[in-house]
Amino acid sequence: MTSTDEELVARSIGGDSDSFNELVLRWERPIYALAYRTIGREEDARDVCQETFLRAFRALPGFRGQAKFSSWLYRIALNLCRDWIRRERRAPIVQAPEDVDVMELAAAAEPTESIEDLVARKDLSRAVERLMALLPEEQRTAIVLKEYHGLTFQEIAELVGCPLSTVKTRLYQGLTVLRRELAKGEPKKTKATL
Amino acid sequence: MTEPVCTYPGDRDEALIALLYDDGGAEASADRARFEAHVRACAACRVELDALRGIRAQLARWAPPEPKFGARANLQSNPQSNPQSALRNPRWVPAWAQAVAAVLVVGVAAGIANLDVHYDRSGLTIRTGWSSRAAAPAAQPAAAPAAADAALWKADLAALERQLRSELRPSQAANTAAAQRSSDADLVRRVRALVDDSEKRQQRELALRIAELMRDVNVQRQADLVRVDRALGLVENKVGVEVLKNRQQMNYFIRTSQR
Repeated sequence: MTSTDEELVARSIGGDSDSFNELVLRWERPIYALAYRTIGREEDARDVCQETFLRAFRALPGFRGQAKFSSWLYRIALNLCRDWIRRERRAPIVQAPEDVDVMELAAAAEPTESIEDLVARKDLSRAVERLMALLPEEQRTAIVLKEYHGLTFQEIAELVGCPLSTVKTRLYQGLTVLRRELAKGEPKKTKATL
Repeated sequence: MTEPVCTYPGDRDEALIALLYDDGGAEASADRARFEAHVRACAACRVELDALRGIRAQLARWAPPEPKFGARANLQSNPQSNPQSALRNPRWVPAWAQAVAAVLVVGVAAGIANLDVHYDRSGLTIRTGWSSRAAAPAAQPAAAPAAADAALWKADLAALERQLRSELRPSQAANTAAAQRSSDADLVRRVRALVDDSEKRQQRELALRIAELMRDVNVQRQADLVRVDRALGLVENKVGVEVLKNRQQMNYFIRTSQR
C-alpha cells in the first residue's frame, strides 16, 4: 500500500531515512519542474531541487503539518528560486570565460546552420519558455503553480502570501501578456515554416 | 466593424480566470453561475475565454528538459551524518556498507583459497587447499606421542605461516593495485564523460544565446537604420527647402539689383 506524504513525513521525523527517500522520489520531479520553469536553467534548477530537499531534510523535525508537505516543499523551492533570481540580477547575464572568443565558439558549435535557421528550429516550447521568462516573477510563479502543478487559487495565495484575488489578477495579466505576445509571433512563425 | 464590448458588472478578470480554471471555491458558486450566464450572452467574454484556453493549450507544450537525478539513493544510507555530501556525491558509500563489502570480500577470498581456520587446545591451525599435503600429518594427532606431536605441530605451523605469508602477500598487493587501478580509471573515464557532456551543453547554450543576441542586435540595427534613413530624409527635405528659399532670395536680390 502506498503511504501518504504525512505518514512518510512522520516516519522520517522518527529517523526512517527510507521514508524521506520515498518523499524525495515522489517530489523531485515536480520540484525540479517548478524550479526550471521559474528560473529557466536546467543545471541551476537541479541545484535548487537538491537544495530544497536538503533544507527540507534539515527542517523536517520542525515541520508540524500546519500545511501540506507539498506546499511546504514548494515554499522552500520558491524561496530558493527567488534568491537565485536576485543573485542573477546582480550578476552579468553572460559570463564568457577568459581567452574565449564567444563569436568563434558560436560559429564552431553550429558551423552549417545560419542564425535564422537556428532560431527557426526552436519549437513552440522554446517560444513559450522565452515569453514566460519575460513575465514579472509574480505572474510567472502564479501561472507555473496553477498551470503545471494544479494548485488551487487558495493554495497559491497561501504559498506566495497574497490575497486570493491578487492571484487571479496575476494569472489574468500573465495570460493576457502571453496571448498578446504569442499572437505577435504567429505571422513570423508561419513565414518561418513556409 | 466594432469590437464587442463586455458590460459585466462584477470583477470580470477574476471571474474569467475562475471559469477558465474551474476553480472558484464553494462560496463563489453563485458568482460563477451568474458569470456563466453572462458568458453565454457576451461575445467579448466568449472570444477572450477561447483565446485564454488556446494559451493554456500552448502552455501545456512547454516541458522542462529531462532531469538527471543521481544523488537521491545516497541520502537513505546515512542522512544524519552529512546529507549535504550524500546528495552532492553520487559515489558516496556509507561506512557500514564498506564494512559489509570488506567482510564479503574476505569471505569470498577465503572460500576461493579453501582456507580452514581452527582454534583448539593445541593452538591456532590454518590450512589452505594449497597446503593440504603439509597439513596432512596433523590430521592424526591421537596416534603419535604427545611430545613428538607438539614439535611436529610447531614445525608445521611455522612452515604453513611462511607459506601463507609468501602466497597471500603478493596476490593481495596485486589484487589491491589492480582494483585501485581499474576503479581510478573508471572514475577518470566517468568524470571525463561528465565534463565533456557539460562542456557540450554549455557550448550549445552559449551558441543559442549568442544567436538570440545577434538576432536581437540585427533587428535593432535594422530599426536604427530605418530611423536614421528617415531622419536623413527629413534633413534632406529641410536642406532642400532651405536651398530653395536661398535660391528664391538670390533671384529676388538679382531682380531688385537689376532694376
